[in-house]
This record gives sequence, C-alpha cells and structure tokens, in this order.
Amino acid sequence: MKDETPRDPLDRDLSAAASSLRKAWDSPELWPRIEQALLLESSRKATEAPEKVGFFEDLFGSLAHNWRPALAGLALFGLATAGLLVFRGSGGRDPYTVSSSHAALLTEQAASEVERTEAAYVASIEKLSRLAVPRLEKATEPVLVNYREKLALIDGAIAELKSNIEQNRFNTHLSEELLAMYREKQRTLQDILQEVKS
Amino acid sequence: MPGVEDRVGQDLLEGCRAGRIDAFERLYEQTGAKMKSLAANLLGNVADAEDAVQETFLKVCRGAGSFKGGSAVSTWAFRILLNTCYDTLRRRRRRPEETGAQILELSPAPGADHPLRLSLERAVRSLPERERAVFLLVEVEGFSHREASEVLEVPEATSRTLLFSARGRLKRSLSPMEGTA
Repeated sequence: MKDETPRDPLDRDLSAAASSLRKAWDSPELWPRIEQALLLESSRKATEAPEKVGFFEDLFGSLAHNWRPALAGLALFGLATAGLLVFRGSGGRDPYTVSSSHAALLTEQAASEVERTEAAYVASIEKLSRLAVPRLEKATEPVLVNYREKLALIDGAIAELKSNIEQNRFNTHLSEELLAMYREKQRTLQDILQEVKS
Repeated sequence: MPGVEDRVGQDLLEGCRAGRIDAFERLYEQTGAKMKSLAANLLGNVADAEDAVQETFLKVCRGAGSFKGGSAVSTWAFRILLNTCYDTLRRRRRRPEETGAQILELSPAPGADHPLRLSLERAVRSLPERERAVFLLVEVEGFSHREASEVLEVPEATSRTLLFSARGRLKRSLSPMEGTA
C-alpha cells in the first residue's frame, strides 16, 4: 500500500519504528456498544418520522374543516405574489437579486484577496530562490539533497493545486492549501539559506 | 477489479443509508481495527479511542443520507474519525482536567518492541495536525498517498509533501537519540 521508499538508515529506522506505533487490542464490547447506539438512533429516527406525517395530517384535516379562513389566506397569498411579480417586472429593486449579487461580489473579493497574497508569496519566493537554488543545484551534502527533493515535492503540489484551482477559482479549500504550500516553500528556502550559512 | 469494488462500496453506502445494521457491521469489520489504532495514536488512550470510533459510526449513520459519494464510505468514515478526534483534542485543550488520570499505556502491536518507539510516539504528538495525520495514515496504518489524500481532501502531491515534512521533523527530533537507542 505504501509508496515511499526510505533511503538512509534513520529513514529505515523511522519506517520500522512507525509500524510499531500501530495499536491493537481486543475490544469485544465495542461493536455491541456501537450496534446498540445505532439501533437507538434508528428508533429515534423512526419515532420522529410519524410525528411529521401526523403534523401534515393535522394541517390538512384542519383545512378541511375550516375552509373559509383557508380560502381567504390563499387569496391573500395570491394577491401578494401578483404584487411581487408586477414589482419585479417594473424593474424595481428586488431584495433577492441584491443579496445574491452582493454575495458574488464578496466571493470575488475573497478570490482577489487570495490572488494578492499568492502574488506576495511568489515575489518573496523568487527572491529567496535566487539565493538558495544555485547553492542547491550542485550540492552533494545529504541535508541539501534532502531539501532539493522537498522543494521538488512542494513544486509538484503547487502545480497540482494551481491546475485544480484553474477549474474552480472560488474553491476556498484549494486556495488555502495553495497558500499553505507557498508558506511551506518560503520556510524551506529560508531553512536552506540558514543551512548554507552555518 | 475496480468494477466489483465499486459495486461493493455502493452496496455498503446504500446499506448505511437505509440504516441496515449489517452494512455498519461490514464497515466495522473493514475499518474497525485501523480506526481504533488511528484514534488511539491521536488521543493517547483506549477509552477515548473507542468512544471516537463509536461516535464516528453514529455520524456515518446520521450523515449517510446526505453523503454525495465521490469517495468510498470507508474513506469518508476515516475523515469523520479524524475530525471527531480533533474535536476531542480541542475539548481537552479547553478543559485539561478531564483527561488527567485516564491516559493508559497501550500495548504495541505484537513484535513491535522497536527501541525508537517511545521517543517516536512523543515526537509524533508534537507534529502539526496535518503532518501527524498523514504520518499516521501512511507510515503507521499503511494507507497509500491516494487513500490518505482522499481522507484529508487534499491533492496526492500535498499528502507526499506533508509526509516529507513530517519525516524531516521526526528525524530532526529523533537524531540526538540515535546514539542512545
């Protein structure tokens, strides 16, 4: 299942020790506990459902008995709807339209905000890369080789996220992921420069 | 045979949506052991881990109707488990007195007496949330990066990057131990 290949001895030790973190213990009472909780949940759902049916039955039952007030209510609703249609048709300001365009504006603002932050990261990363990357290219020290691999992984992740975002610019989750990756790249480049200095 | 797997997964989802106990039992058989282990590693004790697994099944039962698919039910269940564990950890941070005496030392898997184990356990607890999740899913529970990325709802490459960072941090915090191990 795993697709990581550990290389140095500490990597191998880490992988061996990692699998020893897997916990196993007998818990014969756990499934019966879950089963009971699920049955309780099902019976709760089952008792809630007929109540809803009862409510509608009551409603329609009472409408059948009190048809005059119901008819008056329907007439009032019809008049209100007609009024709204006329108001919309006349080009009046409609609260629904206003709120949805406002929401769209907010989404657009948020996306632009993300793009501005992204641009700031890219600028900072470019500066750091100019200093760090030439040192990495010919490096043979294991620490720097490791950093080179890490940068390649981060670049891969950034490329994948960007192509996903191209399909949906307003996906907040992906945008947050992208900014997190930029932050990681910026931190890694700073670590490289620190490493090279020391 | 992905077709067969898809059909089995679809049956499982439909069973869960219908509230059929046998479907949940099948899900428990498939995932229970890994769920317990993952929760125990995140929460540090058996009682909380078992409570988290139970809560996960209840949430699957409540949410199966509105689950849109897109990933396997088991993947979705692991995602719920992770969030349930994070909620427990957040509650603990707010009320630390609740956990004090409950922490139990768990027996590791048979044959797992690696000298690094205890130090690693401590080091894993100090990893950032997402790196810890990827490390536990991939390195400890044996998920592939594809599976881990579906659980965490991140691209596969992000899962790889998170694991790389986690391993780097762990190696740095464990390297002074090397001589003594």
